[in-house]
Amino acid sequence: MRRGALRSFGLPAPDALIGIGVVLALAAVPLAGPGTYLLGFLFTIFMYGALAGSWNIIGGYAGYLSFGHAAFFGLGAYTTALLLFYSGWSPFLTLPIAGALAALFAALVGYPCLRLRGPYFSLVTLILGLAMYSLTLNLPFTQGASGLFLPFLRVDIYTSHVIFYEIMLGLLTIVTAVLRQITRTKMGVGLTAIREDEDAAGTLGVNATRLKLQAFMLSAFLTGLVGGVYSYYKSYLDPSFVFATSISITIALMALFGGRLAWYGPLVGAVVLSIVNEMLTTQAPPQTARIVFGALLIIVIMFLPDGLISIIQRRLPAFVLRRAKQAAARDEIIGNR
Amino acid sequence: MLRGVGITKRFGGVTALRNVSFEVGAGELVGLIGPNGSGKSTLFGVISGFHPPDDGTVFFDGRHITGARPHTVAQLGIARTFQIVRPFTGMTVVENVRVGALYGRGERRIAVADRHARELVEFVGLEQRADTLARNLTLAEKKRLEIARALSIQPRVLLLDEVFAGLNPTEVRGAIDLIARIRSQFGVTIIMVEHVLKALMETCERIIVLSYGEKIAEGAPSAIAADPHVISVYLGKTYAAR
Ligand SMILES: Nc1ncnc2c1ncn2[C@@H]1O[C@H](COP(=O)(O)OP(=O)(O)OP(=O)(O)O)[C@@H](O)[C@H]1O
Ligand SMILES: [Mg+2]
Repeated sequence: MRRGALRSFGLPAPDALIGIGVVLALAAVPLAGPGTYLLGFLFTIFMYGALAGSWNIIGGYAGYLSFGHAAFFGLGAYTTALLLFYSGWSPFLTLPIAGALAALFAALVGYPCLRLRGPYFSLVTLILGLAMYSLTLNLPFTQGASGLFLPFLRVDIYTSHVIFYEIMLGLLTIVTAVLRQITRTKMGVGLTAIREDEDAAGTLGVNATRLKLQAFMLSAFLTGLVGGVYSYYKSYLDPSFVFATSISITIALMALFGGRLAWYGPLVGAVVLSIVNEMLTTQAPPQTARIVFGALLIIVIMFLPDGLISIIQRRLPAFVLRRAKQAAARDEIIGNR
Repeated sequence: MLRGVGITKRFGGVTALRNVSFEVGAGELVGLIGPNGSGKSTLFGVISGFHPPDDGTVFFDGRHITGARPHTVAQLGIARTFQIVRPFTGMTVVENVRVGALYGRGERRIAVADRHARELVEFVGLEQRADTLARNLTLAEKKRLEIARALSIQPRVLLLDEVFAGLNPTEVRGAIDLIARIRSQFGVTIIMVEHVLKALMETCERIIVLSYGEKIAEGAPSAIAADPHVISVYLGKTYAAR
């Protein structure tokens, strides 16, 4: 017990230490004075990392593949934009509202939808994304298809790039920390049980209805936050982008591609696919890019159902695993006293 | 302790249970037998909240639990195993058992749940396999895991659905021993569905017989074995089929 407590509170676990180191290093990148292109590209990677991570709470951990997360992203983006546009409130107010509204919306649609299993759930969420898009086009105050123009930050372009870079890095860090924490708590155990066999989970006392709803709301909340930051960043909101089905699909694929079982899987997927995508769209003719991208996804999903990270995990040197086991056994003995 | 009154359950046109009543007292070990398709598993499904009955009532400790959802029934202290084992295949043995230790008893701390889980895994004799993925277990081991998982919610009633089926005679012996140890250590009330009659005859105090969804007999094993009706619908048929 003592030892376990020490490890989880006093001294961070090795993976957390590495994570903190990487975040600090990334936070310092703007000091080296990179161009706006690189900052913008990293912003995109962070954003997709945060989106794929948020998605993974319901899609990966619970195994409810949502193909409609653009609805939450867009909702967050539009909430922030409209509040900024009409009321001029501070981001510290609008961003939490954006997340909360996305979570509330998730609760409303999740209650009926999460009863559906497998492809039916996926299908309904897909339709949900499309419905939100049409709604935005037709509401009186969203300015429809022409989108919303928002005021820029009153700083020069480079500084604004740096600011958004740091904000999105912070958001990515929060999402990833949440994702990691879930795997270490009761919630993660329950979600995994639901993914493995929802009926069997029920016989063990897991209230699947409630737990799935909580996961869906948390996932939507974080996705809404990311959407909110995105709308500040973009300063122009195009409903055909923020509610695009392609966003829903991309973030789901990133998580699946990287590996949805571990907290760092979606992040790995987002980084790798964002880079591949960037290389293909800038270096190759547009059509080849799409084909290569699609083929790559099919190959990995068919042959690596647990994602890219399963290669790394399989290659982990045997002594690392052995030491982990010994440590667990030691905790056990100490805990039993 | 557990009582069903006039339970009827239909699946489309099939009436799986017709007006079945039963009562099980605290600490009892009751056998439930009947030919294939006679409604035994369905009765477990009704009790555990999987199949809300079309008619009738289930009482647990005098409390009305008809139609309660499976997790509620589990949290109240009724555990079941599945006839076709359903381990969480991607989890290790301990991780499987941990789920019930957390959610069935309302424990919050993973470390504490893990300790309970390891104790139970040891109790059912799977300590050598504690950190093995459940999909890599043999059938006999999976059945033990199923039992450990059911015990993890600290049940007061245990519904065992054919835990001997598919086991060889040595493994059946082991399973009978295990059930005896469960009774003496945890004092739980057990209802068990079994086709291995010999095993039931020597372990149960009372046997309930279902046929085509109706209760056709109930009594001491010796009386059941001698009941001509039971012999004709149940023993006659299965023995003839073998
Ligand atoms: N989910 C279901 N949907 C439709 N019909 C079902 C369902 N479950 C059971 N049945 C039907 O109800 C009847 C009783 O089935 P049940 O599984 O309870 O029998 P059983 O006594 O457990 O049989 P066995 O010895 O083969 O396990 C059968 O006719 C079966 O086909
Ligand atoms: Mg059955």
